[in-house]
Amino acid sequence: MQMCVDPDGLAGLSWWLCYLTTNTHYSFYLSFGTILILIFLCAPVVMVLGFAGALSRRSRFLPLRTVGLIYTSMVRGVPDIVFFMFVPIAMDQAIEAIRHKVKCPEVTAPIFQGNDFVVCTAAKMPLSATDQWVHEIYGFFLALVAFAIVFGAFAANTLHGALAAVPKNQLETARAYGMSEKQVFWRIHLPQMWRYALPGLSNLWMILIKATPLLFLLGVEDAVYWAGALGASKTQIYDFPHGDWRIWYFSALLIFYLLLTSVSERFFKWLTLKVTREHNLNTDDLSSGVTA
Amino acid sequence: MKVNNSNLDFDSNATDSESERAAVAPVVCLENIHKQFGSLEVLKGIDLKASAGEVISLIGSSGSGKSTLLRCANLLEVPQDGEIIFEGEPIIWSGSGFSRKPSDNDQVRKLRTNLSMVFQQFNLWAHLTILENVIEAPVTVLGRDPLQSAAFGLELLEKVGIGDKSDAYPSQLSGGQQQRAAIARALAMEPRAILFDEPTSALDPELEAEVVRVIKSLADEGRTMIIVTHDMKLAREVANQSIFLHQGLIEEQGDPEELFGNPKSERLQQFLSATASV
Ligand SMILES: Nc1ncnc2c1ncn2[C@@H]1O[C@H](COP(=O)(O)OP(=O)(O)O)[C@@H](O)[C@H]1O
Ligand SMILES: [Mg+2]
Repeated sequence: MQMCVDPDGLAGLSWWLCYLTTNTHYSFYLSFGTILILIFLCAPVVMVLGFAGALSRRSRFLPLRTVGLIYTSMVRGVPDIVFFMFVPIAMDQAIEAIRHKVKCPEVTAPIFQGNDFVVCTAAKMPLSATDQWVHEIYGFFLALVAFAIVFGAFAANTLHGALAAVPKNQLETARAYGMSEKQVFWRIHLPQMWRYALPGLSNLWMILIKATPLLFLLGVEDAVYWAGALGASKTQIYDFPHGDWRIWYFSALLIFYLLLTSVSERFFKWLTLKVTREHNLNTDDLSSGVTA
Repeated sequence: MKVNNSNLDFDSNATDSESERAAVAPVVCLENIHKQFGSLEVLKGIDLKASAGEVISLIGSSGSGKSTLLRCANLLEVPQDGEIIFEGEPIIWSGSGFSRKPSDNDQVRKLRTNLSMVFQQFNLWAHLTILENVIEAPVTVLGRDPLQSAAFGLELLEKVGIGDKSDAYPSQLSGGQQQRAAIARALAMEPRAILFDEPTSALDPELEAEVVRVIKSLADEGRTMIIVTHDMKLAREVANQSIFLHQGLIEEQGDPEELFGNPKSERLQQFLSATASV
């Protein structure tokens, strides 16, 4: 805005208008979008990994079953945060090591030199010369993969439990009526699984939302980073000097997360009702018609 | 042209003899069925033959292997030894003993779609409405047209007296209504025979009566049925043939009037007096 060119002369409303539209504030606003993009991109990938994990655990093929078991148990024994730190670094180094082998075959020096990880310049990912935004997207992508892998394992546990919770007689009856294993799965097993999976999945979604500040740890300049940076007191050498306003910035963050979780909660309540209303086994109904 | 004609003739001859064989052969024939769970020998060589239009009642104390026998008949359980012959066509096996299993999936599906099961606990699919339950297998397994199946399904629900419940979910029905819906589901397959596993055992007496009425009307239509039951009145009145199973073997078998009125074996006498006093 034209008037914002000389912020020292501003006061009142126009000061606020200019203050809240600085480039760094835009970055702050965008970081809320980053959180939303992360969770909405993550969710489908988590479900795919979750089903892959749950189904491989049920597989009759031993190696596949073992992979499924390792995948689902790995997150149980290790603090999540260790995974969030480990996966992006491991992926980054793996990608660069492969590029190193392909792009610089003439370099004979080992990649691991003592404690250092050394690859040729051409193998860097992204290349050092690329724009800042490419670096940021790449970093975000690694973070997304880390989130998806960890939450995918949680989802696999939930889905595995839900698949096992469907009463056996429901599936057996389908077989007795001539359905193939595929038909049993798609027509009976999967549709009946949701009511057992929903509580766990809704819980997982909440945890996913609440885990997004971890982006900060992974080097993504997220809302937590910006709230801290923008809220810190600014001396007179800044365009918009102010005292320690972090409490206000973090309050905004608080409200954002509360809104997100309460909307989600309402959505899952609605979904659970929709899924169970149809076929909740009302024990009163049962006992009136059945003597055990 | 000539070659084609003779081919056609040959084909029609083949189908003729096949349908003839099917018409003459019993609907389902079990020969020397042996079934073991681990070291527990549940069936020790059972022969059972259900001809078209025949109603067989299967009685015996709890744990004598009645359910297991029915489950073997449509291959929910695989017998370690013995033959299952559906309309003259024996099931083809691969392997033997505990690793024995049917080798032809199409044959298994053919058997199962022709022998509909009715279970003690009804086992209606909980996520489907009553009508959806009835048309599920005809549409997905037999590939029938959904609309025609729905029309036929409604007819069947009318017939068992719950035409007004077609849009309800199983949990909204009484046990007797659920079991009648399960019978409609069995009929919707237009099976060659229906296998009942204690269809009334989970029901209160007054609800039991409405299910018994439906089963009797099916018998009057000349349907082939094998009925496992603890209801001795049903077993006697509805069947042409009764079989008493004891510890995995057929202890006594024959005309229901004869079997119930004049039991020969001591075990059957004991069993009948025990059930009468309950
Ligand atoms: N899947 C199974 N695994 C192990 N034992 C079984 C299994 N099914 C049935 N049995 C055993 O086989 C015996 C006969 O069972 P069942 O056929 O259900 O008898 P019934 O229907 O006559 O009461 C019982 O001792 C039962 O415990
Ligand atoms: Mg039984």
